[in-house]
Amino acid sequence: MKPAPTLSSAFLHPAGQTLPEPLLALRKQRASALVNMPLPTRKTENWKYSSKYLKLSDDMAISLPAEGKAGTSLAIPGYKVVFTNGVMIPEASEYPDLDGISIQSFSDLDADEAQTLSVQLGSTLDHEQAQFARVNGARFEDGLLIRLQPGAVLDQPLFIIHNTAADACGSAYPRIYVEAGANSQMTLVEEYTSNGEAAVLVNTVTEFNLADGARITSIRLNMEGEQVQHIGATGVLQAQNSRFESHCVGFGGQLRRHDLQVRLEGEGAETKLNGVVVTQGKQHYDNHTSIDHVAANCNSEETYRNIAADQSHAIFNGRIHIHQDAQKSNADMNNKNLLLNNGAEIDTKPELEIYADDVKCAHGATIGQLDETSLFYLVSRGIGRREANVLLTMAFINELVSQIPVQAVRETAQLRLNDFFEQTFQEI
Amino acid sequence: MLSIKNLHASVEGKEILKGINLEIKAGEVHAIMGPNGSGKSTLSQVLAGNEAFEITSGEVTLNGDNLLDLATEERAREGIFLAFQYPVEIPGVSNLQFLRTAVNAMRKHRGEEEMNAAEFMKLAKEVSRQVDLDPAFLKRGVNEGFSGGEKKRNEIMQALLLQPKLAILDETDSGLDIDALQVVSNGVNALRAEDRAILMVTHYQRLLNHIVPDYVHVLAGGKIVKSGGRELALELEERGYGWLGIKDEDTSN
Ligand SMILES: Nc1ncnc2c1ncn2[C@@H]1O[C@H](COP(=O)(O)OP(=O)(O)OP(=O)(O)O)[C@@H](O)[C@H]1O
Ligand SMILES: [Mg+2]
Repeated sequence: MKPAPTLSSAFLHPAGQTLPEPLLALRKQRASALVNMPLPTRKTENWKYSSKYLKLSDDMAISLPAEGKAGTSLAIPGYKVVFTNGVMIPEASEYPDLDGISIQSFSDLDADEAQTLSVQLGSTLDHEQAQFARVNGARFEDGLLIRLQPGAVLDQPLFIIHNTAADACGSAYPRIYVEAGANSQMTLVEEYTSNGEAAVLVNTVTEFNLADGARITSIRLNMEGEQVQHIGATGVLQAQNSRFESHCVGFGGQLRRHDLQVRLEGEGAETKLNGVVVTQGKQHYDNHTSIDHVAANCNSEETYRNIAADQSHAIFNGRIHIHQDAQKSNADMNNKNLLLNNGAEIDTKPELEIYADDVKCAHGATIGQLDETSLFYLVSRGIGRREANVLLTMAFINELVSQIPVQAVRETAQLRLNDFFEQTFQEI
Repeated sequence: MLSIKNLHASVEGKEILKGINLEIKAGEVHAIMGPNGSGKSTLSQVLAGNEAFEITSGEVTLNGDNLLDLATEERAREGIFLAFQYPVEIPGVSNLQFLRTAVNAMRKHRGEEEMNAAEFMKLAKEVSRQVDLDPAFLKRGVNEGFSGGEKKRNEIMQALLLQPKLAILDETDSGLDIDALQVVSNGVNALRAEDRAILMVTHYQRLLNHIVPDYVHVLAGGKIVKSGGRELALELEERGYGWLGIKDEDTSN
């Protein structure tokens, strides 16, 4: 029998040493735990559809240098923090010094702050499910720490641009940690972009820790190039009456994986997860979401849509776990999928584990094609075939795109969608 | 304007239209009546270009040009309009966006400038009033959750916006209350013009009181078995289809 593949030791080598000591120590300790980390294969349940897209090489283990032009597709109206290859670029960043809100790169933290953070990093995630978050923990070069004091409200969205710039093979490990004090509020946009044609790994971790009554809106826009292998994890912990809202918009590539884990730990917490994925050519996209209803009286509402064209492959796995004490939980999960070509593949799987008896839990998943009758109706009014296809495809995700609360993101998503339509329906 | 010669069409290997002959001139209004399942909607859909139906023989010309060679959207741009018996619901596409896209596709085809959102909104509001549909319906998804009557009014609204040469109305009167029937009939009468023809499928002679046809045809078993003036409709109302020798197997197919 062939031995199970493990993460090459090349990935364990220490990276830059500019972080404060407590974080260097943390990284080292995490690296030692990675020795012989098994790599997912098609027998690994949570990677079974995606392992074949994962192509790691020793060259890829090299940390990409924090240089190169930072690109973004967003016309950014407000506050922004720019990272290149996981390292913050202060010259390109612009954000205010506001009362009760601190936005700092990991490298700028003093020893005490770094010590506090080193205990928090990773605490929101189940690393059994998000294996690659471990790699990030051993490799992050820098990161962004946002602390909102109780009651603090960020008046505009904060854009965090994570750009991967690579002339050669390598990897980047973006990391964000958000601690939202009681009743604080913010909207955060993460955009992942890339330039350069080299094969790279982008391995991200974003964490949100919401205290009582905190309200966070998180928008994640994945716009990276074809050759990028993106493996990201987002962990969310929610205390009483907090509200988390997530909008993920992703375009496919060689490998795209996002694990989104939400734990509703305080009564009355609410979470809303929206996701739109669009793939074409031979692209891939895999969303794994997991919602743990730990406390009673929490609501979760999840809506994901995949559109797969050509020979692309999209995957949605939605887990909902309602713990024994989580009475009066209300969970609603809905995943609809649109196959634009026969060669495309979509795999969808709801995973429900319910241990409380007084709960409402609804789920639905469908896979379909564009409706011929609707197409005929549109073209019978003189609308061109191509345009009719675009209208119907857009109709499939309109509801979700229009809910994205930041206009710049909606516009960017729309432009990219137009490119997608242009290519996908070019022969019509 | 429209000339149909010996048209045969089938669906899933089953022949539905079994040799239709029909001539419609500009300015005329023709009514088609006939039992359920006799092929009235099939004929309408075939004329509009629905590819679910296979044309096995015959020819159809519009102003001398072969219609059957044209794709559905090209037929629409040449002036064919079909008001569907069952208008399609398309959630996620707003009625306004749908209508504007259609109107602009036609304008583009005629080499006219496209209408911007504001111009179109003005026009659409006018026309929606004409069919007594609250402009709020423009914002909803295409036919989404519309009542039966609202769907029919939305169809007539489209005809008024698109100003076709040949309007085919497939049971646009069914499911309408008395007031709505009046509104829809007014809409259809507004379409009547020297250079336009109307082909309407109906089960009820009462529609023909509002929209007086020049000719009435009876379609049964995939063929036109009888044609006449508007008095034929009255006769059908009184006597049913039996006297025409339409057998049960023809009506039930
Ligand atoms: N897609 C289809 N597949 C199979 N049979 C079909 C299809 N479309 C129509 N038919 C059959 O063709 C026949 C004619 O149908 P059509 O809808 O044209 O009748 P109609 O005259 O419009 O009837 P109605 O008065 O009830 O509207 C019916 O027997 C119908 O079942
Ligand atoms: Mg019919």
